[in-house]
Amino acid sequence: MAQRVLIVDDHQGFRKLARRLVQEVGLDVVGEASSGAEALREERRLRPDIVLLDVQLPDLDGIIVARSLSTLAAPPLVVLISTRDASDYGPRIDGCGALGFISKAKLTAASLSALLMR
Amino acid sequence: MKTWQRSAFQAIVLAIPALVCFVELQQFWPPTFDRPPLIALDDLLPGSAFTLAGLIAWSNRPSNRVGVLMILIGIGLLLGTSPILLQPSPLAETLTLVLGNWWSFFLVVFGSLWAVALLHLLLAFPSGLLGSRLDRGLVAFLYLAVPVLGLIAVVVTLSRLSGMTGGDVVVRLEFLAYTTGALVYLACLLLGSALIVRRWFVAGSARRRSMAVVIWSLVPIALAFAPAHLARFFAADASSTLWLELAKGSPLFLAVMPAGYLVAMLRSTRDLTSIADLVVKLSNGLLPAELQPALASTLHDPSLEVVYWLPTLGWYADLEGRPVSLPAQDSPRAVSVLGDPADPIAALVYDSSLRDEDRLVDTAAAAVRLALENARLQVQLRAQLDEVRQSRARLVEAADDERRRVERDLHDGAQQQLVTLLLSLQLAKAGALDRSDAQSAQVLDESIESLRQALAELRMLARGIHPTILVEAGLLPAIRSLGERCPMEVEVTGEVGRLEPRLEAALYYVAAEAITNAVKHSQGHRIRVDVGRSSGWASVDITDDGVGGADVSKGSGLVGLSDRVAAVGGRLDVRSNQSAGTNLHAEVPCG
Repeated sequence: MAQRVLIVDDHQGFRKLARRLVQEVGLDVVGEASSGAEALREERRLRPDIVLLDVQLPDLDGIIVARSLSTLAAPPLVVLISTRDASDYGPRIDGCGALGFISKAKLTAASLSALLMR
Repeated sequence: MKTWQRSAFQAIVLAIPALVCFVELQQFWPPTFDRPPLIALDDLLPGSAFTLAGLIAWSNRPSNRVGVLMILIGIGLLLGTSPILLQPSPLAETLTLVLGNWWSFFLVVFGSLWAVALLHLLLAFPSGLLGSRLDRGLVAFLYLAVPVLGLIAVVVTLSRLSGMTGGDVVVRLEFLAYTTGALVYLACLLLGSALIVRRWFVAGSARRRSMAVVIWSLVPIALAFAPAHLARFFAADASSTLWLELAKGSPLFLAVMPAGYLVAMLRSTRDLTSIADLVVKLSNGLLPAELQPALASTLHDPSLEVVYWLPTLGWYADLEGRPVSLPAQDSPRAVSVLGDPADPIAALVYDSSLRDEDRLVDTAAAAVRLALENARLQVQLRAQLDEVRQSRARLVEAADDERRRVERDLHDGAQQQLVTLLLSLQLAKAGALDRSDAQSAQVLDESIESLRQALAELRMLARGIHPTILVEAGLLPAIRSLGERCPMEVEVTGEVGRLEPRLEAALYYVAAEAITNAVKHSQGHRIRVDVGRSSGWASVDITDDGVGGADVSKGSGLVGLSDRVAAVGGRLDVRSNQSAGTNLHAEVPCG
């Protein structure tokens, strides 16, 4: 069975395209969320295997959401994405419990699957 | 009151002690060894002294009730305790004939009220106003209770004398009425004295000075009342020897209070002459900082403050130019505004006990007026400089906020749109490849590549406007990130922790500018950046191993940096000797 993915981003247009990209990689999109609080709620309800998580959300910071998800008993794999570079966040990204970070400009089917294969 | 009315009133008041003295001394004429006229002093001196001191006080400060109270006490003492109206005399007989028993009532009421007025005066000194509710209650109670108890005593006595009633019961009732009145008054006098002593203990030195007369009078007043009342209580027989009278307690002691008041007035006149010393000090050139201590010493109020009116800013300031608000109307501090009230020069803030020394304050203020105007100019300059400093800091902060906003808008707006477009092109390319449309895939690939290029440039632009990492992770990671992108080798050491955003921004831009300059001009190979924080200062120190020769004065970006660091209260040092590299050191206060 394909791995189940939750997409978290506050731009609807981006979520729509990301859904197609994720499907292209061969994964199953089970839900979407547009804020940090909704992401935490949806995670509890859907129990996805992977969360594609934008760092800049209107309410909670994506890095804080990732840290909170990593404390769960069976945490999902978290892939952080952002229009900014990883270098813009410095040491904050390390140790937040995410599997990795992909800048949105470099987000492709290939880069996503490479990170998930790792 | 018009001048002639006042003079007439003063003449009438003055006539009372003169008349009483004349009538009473007549009894001792011609003098004999058994009845020396000195005995009459007991009755005449305290009343006359209070009347005279009261007249002087009243003409000096007509609006202050102290003068009127003293006059009332004086006349009360003269009429109430002098035998002129009590003992058989032509005047007393005439009055008794005309007024009948009403005369006795009048004597009792007036003869006791002066004692209440005395406590009123002690509590209200020197302002003439009763400050606390307890003071007012105590005085009001006595004004009511003392005459009422006296009247009861008189009624009982009259009924006994007229033979309407008789027996032991009436005698006891009479005794009880007299002693109750005396004891109630004594108790209130004690309570009043306790209030005054407590007030003296908590008072500042200026207030203590003005209360000195009252404090020093308490013991003589107690000596005047307590033994006399006790003597009456134990029904001791009246002896006519002067010394025995004194030992029993005598109204003579009461004269200490008006005498003390006159001495205090003399002292206050001497204070006026001490202003001459102040003028001499001024002519020797008094610094603005010495003005306040000099005035405080002249006016005997160490708590005195001089505050300056700043017309351009619209508030009062202290010598350092810091805003100061004047005390409220009901505060224990008094204020004298100097100069035209619509456009004052300065204000003196002092202990309210000096309010009664208004002439002294005004004269001292007039003496220092010119010096105050000079001092005010200095204060105004300082305050304006402070204002400019603050507005510069606000400008820099506003500019930083604006940069942060523009950077965020670039990310959330344009960059987000372009990233979505990029993703959409990638999906289109994947579709084209699925359909084996190599030509379309080729075109899309080129578009994707140039879009990536545009995005990278946009990111660089945004980072230059305001680096996200500075907000996200702080100064040290932001400087490390600068170093990682730098073509020269950059070594970053030290630890600084998180600082206020405006301080992080100031130090970051110093480091960024120094690194950019080193890359462009130093011809060196290595840059060392050291950050640190100690004893309330955060610093950044950048050194390169290049050719040196950087000059702040040559209109480089260093001037702007220096301004930026100064805006947050810090300083920037540049050392750049020929062929010895360049060192920039910036430090900012971080509390």
